Amino acid sequence: MPTLTINQKSITVPDGTTIIQAAEKLDIEIPRYCYHPGLSIAGSCRMCLVEVEKIPKFQPACNTRVSEGMVVHTNTEKVKEAVSGVLEFLLINHPLDCPVCDQAGECYLQEYYMKFGLYDSRMDENKIKRHKAEIIGPHVILDTERCILCSRCVRFVNEVSHSHEIGIFNRGSQSEIRLLPGKILDNNYSGNVVDICPVGALTDRDFRFQCRVWYLSETKSICPGCSRGCNISIHSNRQRPHHAGGRRVMRLKPRFNAEVNHWWICDEGRYGYKFIDDPSRISLARVKEKGEFLVLTLDQVIGRAGEKLREALEKVGRDSVVVVASPRLTNEDLFVIRKFFGEDLGLSQIDFRVPDQNLASGDDFLLRADRNPNSRGAEAVLLDENGFDLTQLLSMENSRKLQLLCLFEQDLTKTLGEAWAKKFLQQFEYVIYVGSNENETSVLSHLTLPSATYAETEGTFTNFEGRVQKINQAVEPLGDSLPTWQIVSKLACALGYRYNYENAEEVFGELAERVVEFQDLAYEKIGDSGVEIPDISKVQV
Amino acid sequence: MMTSLTIEVGKVLLVLIGVLNLAAVLTWMERKQSAVMQDRIGANRASILGFRAFGLFQVLADSIKMFAKEDFVPPMGNRFLHTLAPFVSAFFALIGFAAIPFGNVIHLFGKDISLQVIDLNVGILYVFATMSLGIYGVVLAGWSSNNNYAFLGGMRGSSQMFSYEITIGTTILGVLMIFESLSLQTIVQAQGELLWGFIPKWGVVVQPIGCLLFLVAGIAETKRVPFDLPEGESEIIGYFVEYSSMKFGLFMLTDFVETILIASLVTTLFFGGWQIPYLMRDGFHFPGGFTVSLSGTSVSLLQVLSYCVKVFFFCWFLLLVRWTLPRFRYDQLMRLGWKMVFPISILNLLATSLLVLLLR
Amino acid sequence: MGSRELSFTERLYIIEVFKGLWLTGHHFFGNMKRHLARQLGLNRLKKGAVTFQYPEERRPFSPRYRSRHRLTKRDNGSPRCVACMMCETVCPAHCIYIVAGEHPDPNIEKFPVRFDIDLGVCVFCGFCVEACPEDAIRMDTGIVEIAAYSRKEMIYHIEDLLQ
Repeated sequence: MPTLTINQKSITVPDGTTIIQAAEKLDIEIPRYCYHPGLSIAGSCRMCLVEVEKIPKFQPACNTRVSEGMVVHTNTEKVKEAVSGVLEFLLINHPLDCPVCDQAGECYLQEYYMKFGLYDSRMDENKIKRHKAEIIGPHVILDTERCILCSRCVRFVNEVSHSHEIGIFNRGSQSEIRLLPGKILDNNYSGNVVDICPVGALTDRDFRFQCRVWYLSETKSICPGCSRGCNISIHSNRQRPHHAGGRRVMRLKPRFNAEVNHWWICDEGRYGYKFIDDPSRISLARVKEKGEFLVLTLDQVIGRAGEKLREALEKVGRDSVVVVASPRLTNEDLFVIRKFFGEDLGLSQIDFRVPDQNLASGDDFLLRADRNPNSRGAEAVLLDENGFDLTQLLSMENSRKLQLLCLFEQDLTKTLGEAWAKKFLQQFEYVIYVGSNENETSVLSHLTLPSATYAETEGTFTNFEGRVQKINQAVEPLGDSLPTWQIVSKLACALGYRYNYENAEEVFGELAERVVEFQDLAYEKIGDSGVEIPDISKVQV
Repeated sequence: MMTSLTIEVGKVLLVLIGVLNLAAVLTWMERKQSAVMQDRIGANRASILGFRAFGLFQVLADSIKMFAKEDFVPPMGNRFLHTLAPFVSAFFALIGFAAIPFGNVIHLFGKDISLQVIDLNVGILYVFATMSLGIYGVVLAGWSSNNNYAFLGGMRGSSQMFSYEITIGTTILGVLMIFESLSLQTIVQAQGELLWGFIPKWGVVVQPIGCLLFLVAGIAETKRVPFDLPEGESEIIGYFVEYSSMKFGLFMLTDFVETILIASLVTTLFFGGWQIPYLMRDGFHFPGGFTVSLSGTSVSLLQVLSYCVKVFFFCWFLLLVRWTLPRFRYDQLMRLGWKMVFPISILNLLATSLLVLLLR
Repeated sequence: MGSRELSFTERLYIIEVFKGLWLTGHHFFGNMKRHLARQLGLNRLKKGAVTFQYPEERRPFSPRYRSRHRLTKRDNGSPRCVACMMCETVCPAHCIYIVAGEHPDPNIEKFPVRFDIDLGVCVFCGFCVEACPEDAIRMDTGIVEIAAYSRKEMIYHIEDLLQ
């Protein structure tokens, strides 16, 4: 455990720590391009040069391990001059096409120039022309002129994705990033090279020219793409709807969480946000009359749904109502469903497990085969004590007449296949669909209620390890849509129950009281990186 | 009989047409004068066949516009009173001129014609009575519009006019004491005398403070800047906020007619009316003994001209005041009226009566 | 508003009133004299009023005057604008709407598919001109008569701005 001094502040760090890591702990900023905590150390950019007493030359902070009694200076005039000089070299052939560069605004060349550079260019020669706007994969576009050869992307494909698609070719001023012969940058993690590229050399084809980054607001959230629950930031454009055809959510970026996804997310999750602003969104509530959908106000439709529910319960009985929730819903949604349908109405036929005919596969890094973000939470909340299994009902040749089916975010046509789904739905007199997007099942329903997507609501997801993580509202719910827990609350109110939750936090408070796996949890304790409940698997019924 | 009736009707028409035309000219003058005072040009676009005449046609264009506009009556207002109000205003402003002499007696068609519509022995009281009745127009307009701003304007108008009418009454008492008559013609004739043989015995000479106070109160009476509280364009718009078309035009006309009335009264009471200094019935008799003899008709015409010039000058002066001073605040207006102008006029009255008593 | 204590003569007001009348009267007679002199052809140099008779007579614009925007062009007639959205970003009135597109020439890369300025909203601050890194937008057309019968017509599109 050596003790060292950086800028007159001393710190004791474990053996093998580098100066840059020690400085980070002291909140001292050392500029860097090639150093990335998730990758091996290259020491190629030389931006992190620091002065170490008794060593005559500057040392790269990323590649110098600390030793006992080391005295480091990062802010002397000599260091500043050296860093500025390095930056000047890096920018010699940089095209300075910031106006057309998507990285502008989050580019470390811009940032460090303003912080450490601020020199006047002395470059009189013509800049070297290279390949521009070269498509190197389904998601990534390469501009070799802007590249500063930090090699972060090369190390990423070698060390993290192990897909080895790109490398640095040629020597000296001719060196540049190229694809390996016969390869394209096409793996499920290729989007991450855009994130780690400190300059505008690698940019996202999906985000290209859609919007300037300074228009975006950032909301911390959780990727709903699979049960891993990768931490993400939703970048949304709330102020200027003329960009990207009015799309509000512009892109997703991974958010560091040491316990879940580190710095990365997969491409499937990264580009899986499109449904939020898709034209297929259901924004208005409606009922089917004589085979045609009739759009009404949300309260009218909820009132109609309440009538149908009351009718089914009074005329036929509790056995005639089936509720199919979804593992895509938040814990709060599921809890309100359980509370209203299960406890207040006393229904026993509530389940969320629909056998999926087209099971996807996961990989050995982040992506899980279970593509639902909250399967574990749904198990904990809904499968508390009832022994109902939807699979039995689905497979049964049913002779008894069923009255009402309430579907939450469940595209049965997709999961069960068209024939099976139709057969199942036909057993019911009335089908209520609560969901965010139009699909073949929602079209078959008699009454549709628009629910908000994960980006438009707040709540919690429980990932496959039992980590409860918070999602936050990035944009306003589209049209008349509301978070599912609010829709169910309104439905309960229509039937005369008192549901007056103000926000998801209140629902969570009651959830923590009532569901044993969530006990001792508080909404504010979840924080940005989530809270793990280790014994969630043991408590399972 | 017929001749005298014709002469009477002729006099009425002469005064009426003269006043109305002067009022119309004043609308143009106000624009042009304010423009010249402010280094501008003023309305000059209205033209007939490209002939602009310094914007004089603007008056014509304005009146055509006024007549052509929609005549709006607030749906919840009192239709009858709303229509009546501008006529009341204009009517009482106009009939005040009947008692004001615009010349001495002229000998025409073998008759002695008094250049005054009607020589009342209580002429001054008559003029003030008509002025006071003018308040009805303002109050009715404010009240019948069913509009809070109009109502506020009407209230302000009535209280302001009440307050300053008292001052007007007290200031002219001094003049009446000195000239010992209520007939305006007699007052004017009395102003033809000379003090110590060379100073014309005009009201302004014998009652300088009274003259000043009368001017102040008179401007307040016309409800024009700086006393345009009932109007207050920038705050409440005033008692005629719900008026459009020629009804509004009548209020505007009343404004200018009242200006002329005040100018005439100032002329009559304090500046010798139709008198020209040293001009006697048969010509000029200057103090040094120098005489210029003139015929009786030309003397009469000169006197009428003198009256017109004086009235016109005071109209100009009132416009100058209107475009120079900013509007008072309401409390300032009331303070000025009750705590400054009125007490001073009382003091002036006391001093005058004392002097009159001593000098008699 | 701080206010100064008025002196006694000022509080008397009447003297101040006459001072005011003197000033405005001075202007009146001075201007009347000049107007008359001009009318009579005595002195054509001195004007009685500072007015410009607008549609016929125009006040000369200073070179820095900010009039209606225009987009400058490249040699081949296409807009110089690269849709960097600096102007859109800096615009305090949020009246510029740009949508970027991919240019076939990789050396240009980006160009405006849509470039609208809502002149009904514009405050003519000129920040867009200051912010432009490509000298693509200027406010030197000298066009100040910008009027339309509807708000929609006040939105100028890229074709209008390129002319």
